Amino acid sequence: MKIFFIWLFLISMSFAGDATIEVIKKVDTLPSLAVEDATVKYDNAIKMLFFKSLVADLNVISIFNVDGHYRNVDFGASNVVVENKDMKYVLRYRIFEDDSAAFNVEMKLLKDNSEVLSKSYKANKNEFYMFISHAIAFDINEYMGEPSVEWMKRKVVFSKNTTPKKTEIVISDYTLTYQHTIVAGGFNIFPKWANKEQTSLYYTSLDSKPTLKQLDIKTGQTKAIISSDGMMICSDVSVNSKKLLVTMAPNGQPDIYLYNVDSKKSTKVTNYSGIDVGGQFLDDNTVVFVSNRLGYPNIFSQKIDTGVVEQMIFYGKSNAACSVNGEYIVYKARESSDAFGNNTFNLHLISTKTDFIRRLTASGVNEFPRFSKDGDAILFIKNYMSQSSIGIIRLNHDKNYLFPLKQGKIQSMDW
Amino acid sequence: MKNVVLLSVAVAVLVFSGCSSKEPTVDGSAQAPVVSGESSTNNMVSESSDARIAAIQNKLSTIYFDFDKFNIRTDMQSNLSADASVIKTEASDLNIKLEGNCDEWGSDEYNFALGLKRATTVKDALIASGADASKVTMVSYGESNAVCTEKTKDCWAKNRRVDFKVLP
Repeated sequence: MKIFFIWLFLISMSFAGDATIEVIKKVDTLPSLAVEDATVKYDNAIKMLFFKSLVADLNVISIFNVDGHYRNVDFGASNVVVENKDMKYVLRYRIFEDDSAAFNVEMKLLKDNSEVLSKSYKANKNEFYMFISHAIAFDINEYMGEPSVEWMKRKVVFSKNTTPKKTEIVISDYTLTYQHTIVAGGFNIFPKWANKEQTSLYYTSLDSKPTLKQLDIKTGQTKAIISSDGMMICSDVSVNSKKLLVTMAPNGQPDIYLYNVDSKKSTKVTNYSGIDVGGQFLDDNTVVFVSNRLGYPNIFSQKIDTGVVEQMIFYGKSNAACSVNGEYIVYKARESSDAFGNNTFNLHLISTKTDFIRRLTASGVNEFPRFSKDGDAILFIKNYMSQSSIGIIRLNHDKNYLFPLKQGKIQSMDW
Repeated sequence: MKNVVLLSVAVAVLVFSGCSSKEPTVDGSAQAPVVSGESSTNNMVSESSDARIAAIQNKLSTIYFDFDKFNIRTDMQSNLSADASVIKTEASDLNIKLEGNCDEWGSDEYNFALGLKRATTVKDALIASGADASKVTMVSYGESNAVCTEKTKDCWAKNRRVDFKVLP
Protein backbone atom coordinates (compact mmCIF):
# COMPACT_ATOMS: atom_id res chain seq x y z
CA MET A 1 0.00 0.00 0.00
CA LYS A 2 2.84 2.37 0.88
CA ILE A 3 4.46 1.70 -2.49
CA PHE A 4 1.15 2.37 -4.23
CA PHE A 5 0.84 5.81 -2.60
CA ILE A 6 4.46 6.61 -3.38
CA TRP A 7 3.81 5.81 -7.04
CA LEU A 8 0.60 7.85 -6.98
CA PHE A 9 2.51 10.77 -5.53
CA LEU A 10 5.31 10.52 -8.09
CA ILE A 11 2.86 10.31 -11.01
CA SER A 12 0.86 13.28 -9.78
CA MET A 13 4.05 15.30 -9.25
CA SER A 14 5.28 14.47 -12.74
CA PHE A 15 2.12 16.03 -14.22
CA ALA A 16 1.87 18.93 -11.83
CA GLY A 17 1.81 22.25 -13.63
CA ASP A 18 1.93 20.72 -17.12
CA ALA A 19 -0.38 22.91 -19.22
CA THR A 20 -0.70 20.24 -21.90
CA ILE A 21 -2.62 18.09 -19.44
CA GLU A 22 -6.28 18.92 -19.81
CA VAL A 23 -8.39 19.53 -16.75
CA ILE A 24 -11.27 17.18 -17.53
CA LYS A 25 -13.61 18.15 -14.74
CA LYS A 26 -13.54 20.45 -11.80
CA VAL A 27 -16.41 19.26 -9.66
CA ASP A 28 -18.53 22.19 -8.50
CA THR A 29 -15.85 23.40 -6.16
CA LEU A 30 -15.83 27.02 -7.26
CA PRO A 31 -17.47 29.41 -4.80
CA SER A 32 -20.55 31.28 -6.01
CA LEU A 33 -20.44 35.01 -6.62
CA ALA A 34 -23.23 37.46 -7.48
CA VAL A 35 -22.98 41.09 -8.57
CA GLU A 36 -25.15 43.86 -7.14
CA ASP A 37 -25.41 47.31 -8.70
CA ALA A 38 -25.95 50.07 -6.12
CA THR A 39 -25.70 52.97 -8.58
CA VAL A 40 -28.17 55.71 -7.74
CA LYS A 41 -28.09 57.78 -10.91
CA TYR A 42 -26.00 57.26 -14.02
CA ASP A 43 -26.41 56.79 -17.78
CA ASN A 44 -28.36 53.56 -18.11
CA ALA A 45 -26.51 52.31 -21.20
CA ILE A 46 -23.10 52.71 -19.54
CA LYS A 47 -24.45 51.12 -16.37
CA MET A 48 -25.45 47.97 -18.23
CA LEU A 49 -22.24 47.86 -20.28
CA PHE A 50 -20.22 48.08 -17.08
CA PHE A 51 -22.27 45.33 -15.42
CA LYS A 52 -21.82 42.99 -18.41
CA SER A 53 -18.12 43.75 -18.58
CA LEU A 54 -17.73 43.06 -14.88
CA VAL A 55 -19.56 39.73 -15.09
CA ALA A 56 -17.43 38.74 -18.09
CA ASP A 57 -14.17 39.66 -16.32
CA LEU A 58 -15.22 37.77 -13.19
CA ASN A 59 -15.93 34.75 -15.36
CA VAL A 60 -12.55 35.05 -17.07
CA ILE A 61 -10.62 34.93 -13.81
CA SER A 62 -12.21 31.47 -13.49
CA ILE A 63 -12.30 31.23 -9.72
CA PHE A 64 -16.05 31.74 -9.15
CA ASN A 65 -19.35 30.40 -10.38
CA VAL A 66 -20.63 33.83 -11.39
CA ASP A 67 -24.34 34.55 -11.29
CA GLY A 68 -25.16 36.80 -14.25
CA HIS A 69 -28.47 38.20 -12.96
CA TYR A 70 -28.66 41.97 -12.65
CA ARG A 71 -29.77 43.06 -9.16
CA ASN A 72 -30.21 46.51 -7.63
CA VAL A 73 -29.51 47.30 -4.01
CA ASP A 74 -28.62 50.19 -1.72
CA PHE A 75 -24.82 50.46 -1.33
CA GLY A 76 -25.08 50.65 2.43
CA ALA A 77 -27.64 47.87 2.81
CA SER A 78 -26.72 45.57 5.65
CA ASN A 79 -27.86 42.45 3.80
CA VAL A 80 -27.42 41.20 0.27
CA VAL A 81 -30.58 41.05 -1.87
CA VAL A 82 -32.74 38.10 -1.03
CA GLU A 83 -31.99 36.31 -4.30
CA ASN A 84 -28.29 36.35 -3.38
CA LYS A 85 -28.62 35.12 0.19
CA ASP A 86 -27.12 31.74 -0.66
CA MET A 87 -24.15 33.20 -2.52
CA LYS A 88 -20.74 32.76 -0.92
CA TYR A 89 -19.53 36.08 -2.31
CA VAL A 90 -21.36 39.20 -3.44
CA LEU A 91 -19.67 42.04 -5.27
CA ARG A 92 -21.53 45.29 -4.70
CA TYR A 93 -20.59 48.49 -6.51
CA ARG A 94 -21.87 51.92 -7.33
CA ILE A 95 -20.99 54.23 -10.20
CA PHE A 96 -21.01 57.97 -9.68
CA GLU A 97 -19.84 61.13 -11.38
CA ASP A 98 -17.74 63.76 -9.63
CA ASP A 99 -17.30 67.48 -10.37
CA SER A 100 -14.90 66.73 -13.22
CA ALA A 101 -17.41 64.32 -14.81
CA ALA A 102 -15.02 61.45 -14.20
CA PHE A 103 -16.21 57.86 -14.04
CA ASN A 104 -15.96 56.72 -10.41
CA VAL A 105 -16.66 53.30 -9.05
CA GLU A 106 -16.76 52.27 -5.43
CA MET A 107 -16.93 48.56 -4.70
CA LYS A 108 -16.99 46.15 -1.83
CA LEU A 109 -16.73 42.41 -1.75
CA LEU A 110 -18.96 40.63 0.75
CA LYS A 111 -18.26 37.12 1.96
CA ASP A 112 -21.12 35.47 3.83
CA ASN A 113 -22.66 38.94 4.10
CA SER A 114 -19.54 40.48 5.67
CA GLU A 115 -17.31 43.02 3.92
CA VAL A 116 -13.86 41.59 3.18
CA LEU A 117 -12.53 44.00 0.54
CA SER A 118 -13.34 47.53 -0.57
CA LYS A 119 -11.74 49.76 -3.19
CA SER A 120 -12.37 52.86 -5.26
CA TYR A 121 -11.56 53.45 -8.91
CA LYS A 122 -11.62 56.43 -11.20
CA ALA A 123 -11.29 57.04 -14.93
CA ASN A 124 -11.45 60.45 -16.52
CA LYS A 125 -14.14 59.39 -19.04
CA ASN A 126 -16.88 56.81 -18.88
CA GLU A 127 -15.75 55.34 -22.22
CA PHE A 128 -12.92 53.72 -20.20
CA TYR A 129 -15.39 51.76 -18.08
CA MET A 130 -13.94 48.40 -19.17
CA PHE A 131 -10.51 49.19 -17.72
CA ILE A 132 -12.11 49.65 -14.30
CA SER A 133 -14.02 46.43 -14.74
CA HIS A 134 -10.71 44.64 -15.54
CA ALA A 135 -9.05 46.29 -12.53
CA ILE A 136 -11.82 45.15 -10.15
CA ALA A 137 -11.55 41.56 -11.39
CA PHE A 138 -7.76 41.76 -11.07
CA ASP A 139 -7.99 43.02 -7.47
CA ILE A 140 -10.53 40.39 -6.44
CA ASN A 141 -8.30 37.71 -7.95
CA GLU A 142 -5.39 39.12 -5.92
CA TYR A 143 -7.50 39.17 -2.76
CA MET A 144 -8.45 35.53 -3.29
CA GLY A 145 -4.75 34.68 -3.39
CA GLU A 146 -4.86 33.24 -6.91
CA PRO A 147 -1.94 33.41 -9.36
CA SER A 148 -1.78 36.89 -10.83
CA VAL A 149 -3.86 37.79 -13.89
CA GLU A 150 -1.55 40.68 -14.76
CA TRP A 151 -2.32 40.02 -18.43
CA MET A 152 -5.81 41.38 -17.82
CA LYS A 153 -4.29 44.86 -17.51
CA ARG A 154 -2.06 44.55 -20.55
CA LYS A 155 -2.95 46.25 -23.79
CA VAL A 156 -3.45 44.55 -27.13
CA VAL A 157 -2.17 46.14 -30.32
CA PHE A 158 -3.54 45.04 -33.67
CA SER A 159 -3.70 46.13 -37.28
CA LYS A 160 -6.86 45.90 -39.33
CA ASN A 161 -7.54 46.34 -43.01
CA THR A 162 -9.80 49.25 -43.83
CA THR A 163 -9.54 49.02 -47.62
CA PRO A 164 -7.09 47.10 -49.83
CA LYS A 165 -3.54 48.27 -48.98
CA LYS A 166 -4.87 50.56 -46.23
CA THR A 167 -4.72 49.68 -42.57
CA GLU A 168 -5.05 51.12 -39.11
CA ILE A 169 -3.06 50.19 -36.03
CA VAL A 170 -5.24 50.10 -32.92
CA ILE A 171 -4.52 49.80 -29.21
CA SER A 172 -7.16 48.12 -27.07
CA ASP A 173 -7.88 46.34 -23.83
CA TYR A 174 -7.68 42.54 -23.81
CA THR A 175 -11.33 42.14 -24.84
CA LEU A 176 -10.90 44.64 -27.74
CA THR A 177 -13.88 46.55 -26.30
CA TYR A 178 -11.99 49.81 -25.96
CA GLN A 179 -10.20 50.76 -29.17
CA HIS A 180 -7.93 53.68 -29.89
CA THR A 181 -6.49 54.10 -33.39
CA ILE A 182 -2.88 55.10 -33.02
CA VAL A 183 -1.65 54.91 -36.62
CA ALA A 184 -4.17 56.00 -39.24
CA GLY A 185 -3.76 56.09 -43.00
CA GLY A 186 -1.17 54.29 -45.07
CA PHE A 187 -0.31 50.61 -45.20
CA ASN A 188 1.13 49.66 -41.82
CA ILE A 189 1.07 46.10 -40.55
CA PHE A 190 2.46 43.61 -38.01
CA PRO A 191 2.49 45.80 -34.88
CA LYS A 192 4.62 44.37 -32.08
CA TRP A 193 5.15 45.70 -28.57
CA ALA A 194 8.75 46.93 -28.29
CA ASN A 195 9.04 46.54 -24.50
CA LYS A 196 7.27 44.92 -21.61
CA GLU A 197 6.07 48.33 -20.39
CA GLN A 198 4.12 48.70 -23.67
CA THR A 199 5.23 52.28 -24.17
CA SER A 200 6.58 51.71 -27.64
CA LEU A 201 5.81 49.45 -30.59
CA TYR A 202 7.32 48.28 -33.85
CA TYR A 203 5.38 48.02 -37.07
CA THR A 204 6.06 47.47 -40.76
CA SER A 205 5.38 50.30 -43.18
CA LEU A 206 4.66 49.16 -46.74
CA ASP A 207 4.04 52.57 -48.29
CA SER A 208 7.41 52.37 -50.00
CA LYS A 209 10.27 49.90 -49.40
CA PRO A 210 9.23 47.58 -46.54
CA THR A 211 10.52 49.37 -43.43
CA LEU A 212 10.41 48.51 -39.75
CA LYS A 213 9.43 51.58 -37.74
CA GLN A 214 9.29 52.23 -34.02
CA LEU A 215 6.57 54.38 -32.52
CA ASP A 216 6.64 55.93 -29.06
CA ILE A 217 2.96 55.86 -28.18
CA LYS A 218 3.20 58.69 -25.66
CA THR A 219 4.94 61.21 -27.88
CA GLY A 220 3.87 59.96 -31.30
CA GLN A 221 7.51 60.05 -32.45
CA THR A 222 8.27 57.52 -35.18
CA LYS A 223 11.70 56.43 -36.35
CA ALA A 224 12.80 54.03 -39.09
CA ILE A 225 14.75 51.04 -37.76
CA ILE A 226 15.68 48.85 -40.74
CA SER A 227 14.48 48.21 -44.29
CA SER A 228 14.57 45.24 -46.63
CA ASP A 229 13.42 44.54 -50.15
CA GLY A 230 10.35 42.38 -50.38
CA MET A 231 9.59 41.82 -46.72
CA MET A 232 10.42 43.28 -43.31
CA ILE A 233 8.56 42.08 -40.22
CA CYS A 234 9.40 42.10 -36.53
CA SER A 235 8.28 38.71 -35.23
CA ASP A 236 9.53 38.78 -31.64
CA VAL A 237 11.26 41.01 -29.10
CA SER A 238 13.60 39.55 -26.48
CA VAL A 239 12.66 39.86 -22.81
CA ASN A 240 15.18 42.68 -22.31
CA SER A 241 14.02 44.42 -25.53
CA LYS A 242 17.58 44.39 -26.87
CA LYS A 243 17.19 41.80 -29.62
CA LEU A 244 14.59 41.37 -32.32
CA LEU A 245 13.78 38.41 -34.51
CA VAL A 246 12.85 39.83 -37.89
CA THR A 247 11.90 38.31 -41.20
CA MET A 248 13.72 39.99 -44.07
CA ALA A 249 13.93 39.08 -47.73
CA PRO A 250 16.91 40.61 -49.48
CA ASN A 251 16.85 39.17 -53.02
CA GLY A 252 13.30 37.96 -52.49
CA GLN A 253 14.29 35.17 -50.11
CA PRO A 254 12.45 35.32 -46.77
CA ASP A 255 14.68 34.26 -43.87
CA ILE A 256 14.89 34.99 -40.16
CA TYR A 257 17.49 37.42 -38.85
CA LEU A 258 18.58 38.42 -35.36
CA TYR A 259 18.71 42.21 -35.03
CA ASN A 260 20.67 43.87 -32.24
CA VAL A 261 18.89 47.06 -31.17
CA ASP A 262 22.05 48.70 -29.76
CA SER A 263 24.54 47.88 -32.51
CA LYS A 264 21.88 48.06 -35.27
CA LYS A 265 23.49 44.97 -36.82
CA SER A 266 21.52 42.00 -38.13
CA THR A 267 22.70 38.39 -38.33
CA LYS A 268 21.11 35.76 -40.56
CA VAL A 269 19.70 32.87 -38.50
CA THR A 270 17.91 30.57 -40.98
CA ASN A 271 19.12 29.70 -44.46
CA TYR A 272 16.62 27.81 -46.57
CA SER A 273 15.55 28.38 -50.17
CA GLY A 274 11.84 28.18 -49.32
CA ILE A 275 9.95 30.08 -46.64
CA ASP A 276 11.22 30.70 -43.11
CA VAL A 277 9.15 33.22 -41.12
CA GLY A 278 7.71 34.05 -37.72
CA GLY A 279 10.80 33.57 -35.54
CA GLN A 280 10.24 33.55 -31.79
CA PHE A 281 12.66 33.15 -28.91
CA LEU A 282 12.33 29.80 -27.13
CA ASP A 283 15.44 30.70 -25.13
CA ASP A 284 18.52 32.86 -25.71
CA ASN A 285 19.97 30.37 -28.18
CA THR A 286 16.88 28.77 -29.72
CA VAL A 287 14.45 30.19 -32.25
CA VAL A 288 11.08 28.62 -33.05
CA PHE A 289 9.80 29.48 -36.52
CA VAL A 290 7.44 28.52 -39.37
CA SER A 291 8.98 26.90 -42.44
CA ASN A 292 7.75 25.06 -45.52
CA ARG A 293 10.90 22.91 -45.71
CA LEU A 294 8.76 19.73 -45.63
CA GLY A 295 6.56 20.99 -48.47
CA TYR A 296 3.92 22.50 -46.20
CA PRO A 297 4.05 25.05 -43.38
CA ASN A 298 5.13 23.57 -40.06
CA ILE A 299 6.86 24.59 -36.83
CA PHE A 300 10.61 24.06 -36.38
CA SER A 301 13.31 25.19 -33.99
CA GLN A 302 16.91 26.15 -34.70
CA LYS A 303 19.89 26.68 -32.43
CA ILE A 304 21.36 30.08 -33.17
CA ASP A 305 24.98 29.03 -32.53
CA THR A 306 25.08 25.62 -34.23
CA GLY A 307 22.29 26.01 -36.79
CA VAL A 308 20.82 22.61 -35.83
CA VAL A 309 17.18 22.43 -36.96
CA GLU A 310 14.53 20.30 -35.27
CA GLN A 311 10.90 19.65 -36.26
CA MET A 312 8.70 20.64 -33.32
CA ILE A 313 5.20 19.64 -34.47
CA PHE A 314 4.10 16.27 -35.85
CA TYR A 315 0.36 16.83 -36.00
CA GLY A 316 -1.61 19.01 -38.45
CA LYS A 317 -1.56 19.41 -42.23
CA SER A 318 -0.67 23.06 -42.31
CA ASN A 319 0.75 24.69 -39.18
CA ALA A 320 1.45 28.25 -40.23
CA ALA A 321 1.35 30.25 -37.00
CA CYS A 322 2.50 29.78 -33.43
CA SER A 323 3.24 31.55 -30.17
CA VAL A 324 5.94 30.52 -27.71
CA ASN A 325 6.14 30.87 -23.95
CA GLY A 326 8.77 29.05 -21.96
CA GLU A 327 8.56 25.36 -22.85
CA TYR A 328 5.12 25.71 -24.44
CA ILE A 329 4.15 26.29 -28.06
CA VAL A 330 0.59 27.02 -29.14
CA TYR A 331 0.05 26.60 -32.86
CA LYS A 332 -2.68 26.88 -35.47
CA ALA A 333 -3.27 23.66 -37.40
CA ARG A 334 -5.40 22.84 -40.42
CA GLU A 335 -6.86 19.46 -39.59
CA SER A 336 -9.00 18.52 -42.58
CA SER A 337 -7.59 17.52 -45.94
CA ASP A 338 -9.92 19.97 -47.68
CA ALA A 339 -7.89 23.14 -47.94
CA PHE A 340 -10.98 25.34 -48.02
CA GLY A 341 -13.45 23.39 -45.91
CA ASN A 342 -15.26 24.71 -42.89
CA ASN A 343 -14.14 23.94 -39.37
CA THR A 344 -10.56 23.43 -40.37
CA PHE A 345 -8.25 25.51 -38.20
CA ASN A 346 -7.81 24.72 -34.52
CA LEU A 347 -5.29 25.70 -31.87
CA HIS A 348 -3.13 23.09 -30.18
CA LEU A 349 -0.67 23.24 -27.32
CA ILE A 350 2.53 21.25 -26.96
CA SER A 351 5.32 21.17 -24.44
CA THR A 352 8.89 20.90 -25.71
CA LYS A 353 9.54 18.57 -22.77
CA THR A 354 6.75 16.03 -23.28
CA ASP A 355 4.96 14.32 -26.18
CA PHE A 356 1.49 15.50 -25.21
CA ILE A 357 -0.67 17.57 -27.56
CA ARG A 358 -3.65 19.43 -26.13
CA ARG A 359 -6.34 20.62 -28.51
CA LEU A 360 -7.53 24.01 -27.33
CA THR A 361 -10.37 24.84 -29.72
CA ALA A 362 -13.01 22.69 -31.39
CA SER A 363 -14.77 24.67 -34.09
CA GLY A 364 -14.32 27.45 -36.61
CA VAL A 365 -11.16 29.12 -37.86
CA ASN A 366 -8.99 29.95 -34.87
CA GLU A 367 -5.96 32.10 -35.53
CA PHE A 368 -3.43 34.65 -34.19
CA PRO A 369 -2.67 32.72 -30.97
CA ARG A 370 -0.72 34.90 -28.54
CA PHE A 371 0.51 33.81 -25.13
CA SER A 372 0.27 36.18 -22.19
CA LYS A 373 3.71 37.12 -20.85
CA ASP A 374 3.26 34.77 -17.89
CA GLY A 375 1.95 31.93 -20.05
CA ASP A 376 -1.29 31.70 -18.06
CA ALA A 377 -3.59 32.70 -20.90
CA ILE A 378 -3.78 32.61 -24.68
CA LEU A 379 -5.52 35.28 -26.71
CA PHE A 380 -6.79 34.36 -30.19
CA ILE A 381 -9.27 35.31 -32.89
CA LYS A 382 -12.11 32.93 -33.68
CA ASN A 383 -14.12 33.08 -36.90
CA TYR A 384 -17.21 30.91 -36.83
CA MET A 385 -20.55 31.13 -38.65
CA SER A 386 -19.78 34.59 -40.08
CA GLN A 387 -18.98 35.93 -36.60
CA SER A 388 -15.51 36.96 -35.43
CA SER A 389 -14.69 36.96 -31.73
CA ILE A 390 -11.67 37.45 -29.60
CA GLY A 391 -11.11 34.44 -27.42
CA ILE A 392 -9.17 33.92 -24.24
CA ILE A 393 -8.07 30.49 -23.08
CA ARG A 394 -7.29 29.94 -19.39
CA LEU A 395 -4.93 27.00 -19.66
CA ASN A 396 -4.86 26.05 -16.00
CA HIS A 397 -8.64 26.31 -15.68
CA ASP A 398 -9.52 24.66 -19.00
CA LYS A 399 -11.90 27.45 -19.92
CA ASN A 400 -12.40 29.45 -23.12
CA TYR A 401 -14.20 32.79 -23.26
CA LEU A 402 -15.30 34.66 -26.37
CA PHE A 403 -16.01 38.35 -26.87
CA PRO A 404 -17.78 39.14 -30.18
CA LEU A 405 -16.01 41.63 -32.44
CA LYS A 406 -17.53 44.34 -34.56
CA GLN A 407 -14.63 45.54 -36.68
CA GLY A 408 -13.33 44.18 -39.96
CA LYS A 409 -10.60 41.68 -40.59
CA ILE A 410 -7.66 41.74 -38.23
CA GLN A 411 -4.32 41.57 -40.03
CA SER A 412 -2.05 40.90 -37.06
CA MET A 413 -2.15 41.15 -33.28
CA ASP A 414 0.22 41.34 -30.31
CA TRP A 415 -0.43 41.25 -26.57
CA MET B 1 0.31 63.86 -51.20
CA LYS B 2 1.05 63.67 -47.57
CA ASN B 3 -2.16 63.56 -45.67
CA VAL B 4 -1.17 64.20 -42.13
CA VAL B 5 -3.66 63.92 -39.37
CA LEU B 6 -2.16 64.66 -36.01
CA LEU B 7 -4.69 64.60 -33.25
CA SER B 8 -4.02 64.62 -29.59
CA VAL B 9 -6.35 62.33 -27.79
CA ALA B 10 -6.12 61.51 -24.16
CA VAL B 11 -6.21 57.77 -23.67
CA ALA B 12 -4.75 54.53 -24.84
CA VAL B 13 -2.22 54.22 -22.11
CA LEU B 14 -4.34 53.60 -19.11
CA VAL B 15 -2.84 52.52 -15.87
CA PHE B 16 -5.39 51.76 -13.27
CA SER B 17 -4.85 50.93 -9.72
CA GLY B 18 -7.31 50.34 -6.99
CA CYS B 19 -6.81 51.99 -3.65
CA SER B 20 -8.27 51.30 -0.30
CA SER B 21 -11.72 52.72 0.16
CA LYS B 22 -10.56 55.73 2.16
CA GLU B 23 -8.29 57.12 -0.53
CA PRO B 24 -9.20 58.62 -3.87
CA THR B 25 -7.88 56.76 -6.87
CA VAL B 26 -6.17 58.44 -9.77
CA ASP B 27 -5.91 57.05 -13.22
CA GLY B 28 -2.73 57.60 -15.15
CA SER B 29 -4.05 58.28 -18.59
CA ALA B 30 -1.46 59.68 -20.92
CA GLN B 31 -1.43 61.48 -24.20
CA ALA B 32 -1.51 59.11 -27.13
CA PRO B 33 -1.35 61.00 -30.42
CA VAL B 34 -2.69 59.55 -33.63
CA VAL B 35 0.07 59.56 -36.18
CA SER B 36 -0.32 59.46 -39.90
CA GLY B 37 0.99 56.24 -41.31
CA GLU B 38 1.45 57.52 -44.82
CA SER B 39 4.80 58.26 -46.34
CA SER B 40 5.20 61.13 -48.72
CA THR B 41 5.93 60.34 -52.36
CA ASN B 42 7.10 62.53 -55.16
CA ASN B 43 4.91 62.16 -58.20
CA MET B 44 6.56 64.32 -60.87
CA VAL B 45 5.22 62.57 -63.91
CA SER B 46 3.88 64.19 -67.04
CA GLU B 47 0.46 63.40 -68.43
CA SER B 48 1.89 61.84 -71.57
CA SER B 49 4.11 59.62 -69.48
CA ASP B 50 1.11 58.65 -67.40
CA ALA B 51 -0.82 57.67 -70.52
CA ARG B 52 2.07 55.58 -71.82
CA ILE B 53 2.49 53.82 -68.48
CA ALA B 54 -1.24 53.11 -68.32
CA ALA B 55 -1.19 51.70 -71.84
CA ILE B 56 1.69 49.35 -71.01
CA GLN B 57 0.07 48.43 -67.71
CA ASN B 58 -3.05 47.29 -69.56
CA LYS B 59 -1.00 44.90 -71.67
CA LEU B 60 0.39 43.04 -68.67
CA SER B 61 -1.59 40.05 -67.44
CA THR B 62 -1.85 39.00 -63.81
CA ILE B 63 -0.27 35.61 -63.00
CA TYR B 64 -2.40 33.31 -60.83
CA PHE B 65 -1.23 30.52 -58.51
CA ASP B 66 -2.51 27.36 -56.86
CA PHE B 67 -3.28 27.13 -53.14
CA ASP B 68 -0.11 27.34 -51.00
CA LYS B 69 2.10 27.16 -54.13
CA PHE B 70 4.52 29.57 -55.72
CA ASN B 71 5.49 27.71 -58.88
CA ILE B 72 4.20 28.97 -62.25
CA ARG B 73 1.20 26.93 -63.42
CA THR B 74 1.35 25.56 -66.95
CA ASP B 75 -1.77 27.55 -67.91
CA MET B 76 0.03 30.74 -66.83
CA GLN B 77 3.17 30.17 -68.95
CA SER B 78 1.78 31.91 -72.02
CA ASN B 79 0.66 34.94 -70.00
CA LEU B 80 4.09 35.19 -68.42
CA SER B 81 5.83 34.93 -71.80
CA ALA B 82 3.66 37.72 -73.15
CA ASP B 83 4.34 39.84 -70.08
CA ALA B 84 8.08 39.28 -70.43
CA SER B 85 7.94 40.33 -74.07
CA VAL B 86 6.20 43.63 -73.20
CA ILE B 87 8.60 44.34 -70.35
CA LYS B 88 11.69 43.71 -72.52
CA THR B 89 10.51 45.89 -75.38
CA GLU B 90 7.93 48.58 -74.69
CA ALA B 91 8.75 48.91 -70.97
CA SER B 92 12.52 48.48 -71.20
CA ASP B 93 13.13 52.02 -69.87
CA LEU B 94 10.53 51.70 -67.10
CA ASN B 95 10.56 50.06 -63.70
CA ILE B 96 8.32 47.12 -62.85
CA LYS B 97 7.04 46.38 -59.38
CA LEU B 98 5.80 42.84 -58.82
CA GLU B 99 3.10 42.67 -56.13
CA GLY B 100 2.61 39.22 -54.59
CA ASN B 101 -0.80 38.45 -53.10
CA CYS B 102 -2.50 35.57 -51.30
CA ASP B 103 -5.94 34.32 -50.38
CA GLU B 104 -7.20 34.57 -46.81
CA TRP B 105 -6.32 30.99 -45.90
CA GLY B 106 -2.75 31.50 -44.91
CA SER B 107 -1.55 32.94 -41.66
CA ASP B 108 -0.17 36.42 -41.20
CA GLU B 109 3.60 36.23 -41.77
CA TYR B 110 3.54 33.00 -43.75
CA ASN B 111 1.10 34.54 -46.22
CA PHE B 112 3.38 37.52 -46.76
CA ALA B 113 6.30 35.23 -47.44
CA LEU B 114 4.19 33.15 -49.82
CA GLY B 115 3.19 36.29 -51.72
CA LEU B 116 6.83 37.29 -51.94
CA LYS B 117 7.93 33.86 -53.19
CA ARG B 118 5.28 34.15 -55.91
CA ALA B 119 6.71 37.53 -56.90
CA THR B 120 10.23 36.06 -56.82
CA THR B 121 9.20 33.21 -59.13
CA VAL B 122 7.77 35.70 -61.62
CA LYS B 123 10.88 37.89 -61.36
CA ASP B 124 13.16 34.91 -61.99
CA ALA B 125 11.11 33.99 -65.05
CA LEU B 126 11.29 37.55 -66.39
CA ILE B 127 15.05 37.67 -65.92
CA ALA B 128 15.41 34.28 -67.61
CA SER B 129 13.51 35.77 -70.53
CA GLY B 130 15.96 38.65 -70.77
CA ALA B 131 14.36 41.38 -68.62
CA ASP B 132 16.67 43.80 -66.81
CA ALA B 133 16.85 42.58 -63.19
CA SER B 134 17.76 46.05 -61.92
CA LYS B 135 14.40 47.41 -63.06
CA VAL B 136 12.28 44.79 -61.33
CA THR B 137 11.37 45.21 -57.65
CA MET B 138 9.10 43.08 -55.49
CA VAL B 139 6.75 43.49 -52.59
CA SER B 140 4.26 41.21 -50.86
CA TYR B 141 0.86 42.34 -49.62
CA GLY B 142 -0.15 38.96 -48.18
CA GLU B 143 -3.93 38.79 -47.95
CA SER B 144 -4.23 42.57 -47.44
CA ASN B 145 -4.85 43.44 -51.09
CA ALA B 146 -7.78 41.20 -52.02
CA VAL B 147 -9.56 41.93 -55.30
CA CYS B 148 -12.41 39.64 -54.33
CA THR B 149 -13.90 39.31 -50.85
CA GLU B 150 -16.58 36.66 -51.28
CA LYS B 151 -16.19 33.36 -49.45
CA THR B 152 -15.94 31.18 -52.56
CA LYS B 153 -13.21 29.07 -54.15
CA ASP B 154 -13.36 31.15 -57.35
CA CYS B 155 -12.92 34.31 -55.33
CA TRP B 156 -9.98 32.97 -53.34
CA ALA B 157 -8.34 31.84 -56.60
CA LYS B 158 -8.47 35.44 -57.89
CA ASN B 159 -6.53 36.62 -54.86
CA ARG B 160 -3.63 34.17 -55.28
CA ARG B 161 -1.78 36.28 -57.80
CA VAL B 162 1.13 38.49 -58.82
CA ASP B 163 0.19 41.90 -60.25
CA PHE B 164 2.49 44.05 -62.39
CA LYS B 165 2.79 47.74 -61.61
CA VAL B 166 4.60 49.86 -64.19
CA LEU B 167 6.51 52.75 -62.65
CA PRO B 168 8.43 55.63 -64.21
